[in-house]
This record gives sequence, structure tokens and C-alpha cells, in this order.
Amino acid sequence: MQNKNPLSPHLQIYKWHISSLLSISHRIVGVINFLIICIICLWAISLLFGQNSYEPIETFFKSFIGKFFAVSLCWTFSFQIVNEIRHLFWDAGFGFDLKISRITGVIALVTSFVLTILFFTMGKNFF
Amino acid sequence: MVQFNLPQNSKIEVGKYYKDKTNSKNLKKINIYRWDPSTGENPRVDTFEVDMDNCGPKVLDILFKIKNEIDPSLTFRRSCAHGVCGSCAMNIDGINSLACIKSHTDFKGDLNIYPLPHLKVVKDLIGDLTTLYKQYESIQPWLKVDQTGEEKTELKQSQKEREKLDGHYECILCACCSTSCPSYWWNGDKYLGPAVLLQAYRWINDSRDGDKKERLKKVADELKLYRCHTIMNCTNSCPKGLNPAKAIGSIKKMLATS
Repeated sequence: MQNKNPLSPHLQIYKWHISSLLSISHRIVGVINFLIICIICLWAISLLFGQNSYEPIETFFKSFIGKFFAVSLCWTFSFQIVNEIRHLFWDAGFGFDLKISRITGVIALVTSFVLTILFFTMGKNFF
Repeated sequence: MVQFNLPQNSKIEVGKYYKDKTNSKNLKKINIYRWDPSTGENPRVDTFEVDMDNCGPKVLDILFKIKNEIDPSLTFRRSCAHGVCGSCAMNIDGINSLACIKSHTDFKGDLNIYPLPHLKVVKDLIGDLTTLYKQYESIQPWLKVDQTGEEKTELKQSQKEREKLDGHYECILCACCSTSCPSYWWNGDKYLGPAVLLQAYRWINDSRDGDKKERLKKVADELKLYRCHTIMNCTNSCPKGLNPAKAIGSIKKMLATS
């Protein structure tokens, strides 16, 4: 017999912690990065067709939206890297303490923003 | 399956408002999830104004005051009232905890009380934990030894070996951790959840147990164990200050290194 009783509320009422927030962002960012890598590959392939196919991409990245896009990508990748390091430490059995996991969470978030600035300025100077 | 929204019959409606009748100046508004199986209506949230000058310090005291003086139909589980039995586990202001060891002074403003998340509600604040108990049974939480019949001897354990159980044997199975875990919400029928995995680790780690390998093998499953993504909601909510996330991590590490 199927239980027809109501389901108690879950996502609707549960308070967010920094750990759960970073966990879900890690997942979302992972999916975004996967899609982005595909796009970058397509972009690289398009270069084979010569200058004409390159131009629209360049104009896109020079526009405001393009720049916003580039900065966002710098963040998604740097956040994924830093948070993944956190996960590697967990896999090795370290950093499960509640306090430590909170501190490493904050560190991961701050470092991801620092790396974003670093990546973007570096990229700007190189290219 | 992942379903973010509540099903149609679980949508919460605005409930009754119980105004204070004592003319007290020190009032606190308590919002409590209510569902009565006999009416066939959707669950609702009732609001009670409670006179805090004549009320004990714990959240459980508030619930008792409401049940005794305002609405006797309010239903909740409780037994020891000292954080030992784990009966009064519920969601208090967004975090699972025991009503009997949480002080209402820890919460500013209105107090929201819901049953443990993502369970079938039995009535008001009581959730159905049948699945969790079945899963607990599935890890065989008892000592398994090869000894039979007459040759049974005392199983000695050194202090060091005993210390390995610290932080695991204290679990009271209140289900605060399991019902705080999003992975358990979406895969509660297959994923064992933090509470049961903590107990699995406790038995794997017991020096007297003769079935360690078999226990590890049984738990090493894509769904049973590896649905844990270190979200850490379990450790954040444990009212006894235990660390299920670490125990699950230790099982994973054991499997990776053995």
C-alpha cells in the first residue's frame, strides 16, 4: 500500500551552511565548465576555417558582455580548482572537523576570487 | 529521485492563529507545522503566541506549554528530555536538532518548528522513520564472531582498541543527520545516510568483530555509500557533536587503501 501521507518540507525550510552552499556551487560550476570546454574546443576548430570565422569571436570578447563572460569563466574554473583541492584533502582523510571545514570553505571562496583577478589580468597582458 | 518541490498533497497552507490570553508582555511567536491524518486536509503552519515569562528555557518546554495550555491536539515525540533518547528530533529554525537541549534564547524572533525534513508525516511533528530503521538493520549492528557453542571465550579489548569507538558509539539514532542530508532526501531508499553509515563504521572498527571484510564489502556500493558528497549538513546538525562525515570519509579511505 502506498503511503499517501504528506512529505515534510526539506529544501524549503533547511538553513544553508557554507559547506552545503559550496557543495552545490561545486556541482553547478562543474557542469558549466564541462559545457565551456566543449565551446572552447569548437572555437579552436573554427580557427581552421580562417580569419573570417575568427572575427565574430573576437568582436564578442571585446564587447562588455564578452568581458563579463570571460571574467565569469575565470571564476568558475578557479573555484572548481580550489574547491577540488579541498575535496582531495577530504579524500585523504583530513579537514573533516567542523571548524576546519568552515575555515577551508571560506579560504576556498576567497582564493577563487583572488585567482579570478589574477587569471583575468594575466590573460589580458598576454593576449 | 530529485524533486525540489513538495508534492501537491504536501503544500503548506496558512493555519490558525492562537492569540495570547494571558496579557503577558513577554510574548514569542511560535510557528508549528501541523497535519492531522483524520481531516484529509493539506498540512498547515499554526502560529501560537506564548507567554515566555511562565515558560521553561527549552524548546521542548514551549511545546509542552502549548500542548498543556493552548492546543492539546499538538503531537510530538519525546521521552527523556535530556538529550539521551533522541525522540524529540525535529527541525528547529531550519536546522535539525533535539528540542530538549535547544534553548529558545538561541533563536531571535519567531521560532519555526517543522518535523524532520523529507519524511512521510505521521502527525504534526512526527515523521516516519521506518526506512531508516530498516537500513540500520541491514548493516547488522551486532557483534559477529566465529565462535560457536561451548568454545565461546571472553573477547578482550585493549584500551586503545576501545578508544577507536569513541565518537561513534555515542550516536543515539535521532536521525537529525540523515534527514539533514540532501543526498539522503533524493536517494533515501538506496543511500544509507550518515546515521547508518556512522554505525556501519562503528562495527567495522570494533576490534572484537570477526566480520570486518564482509562488512566493508557490503557497504562498498555506488548508491549505499558513495552518494555522500561531503555536504557536511550531517556534522553541522548532530546534537551530540559527532562527525558522520568523517566516519563516511574513513570508510571510503579504508576501501581505497585495503
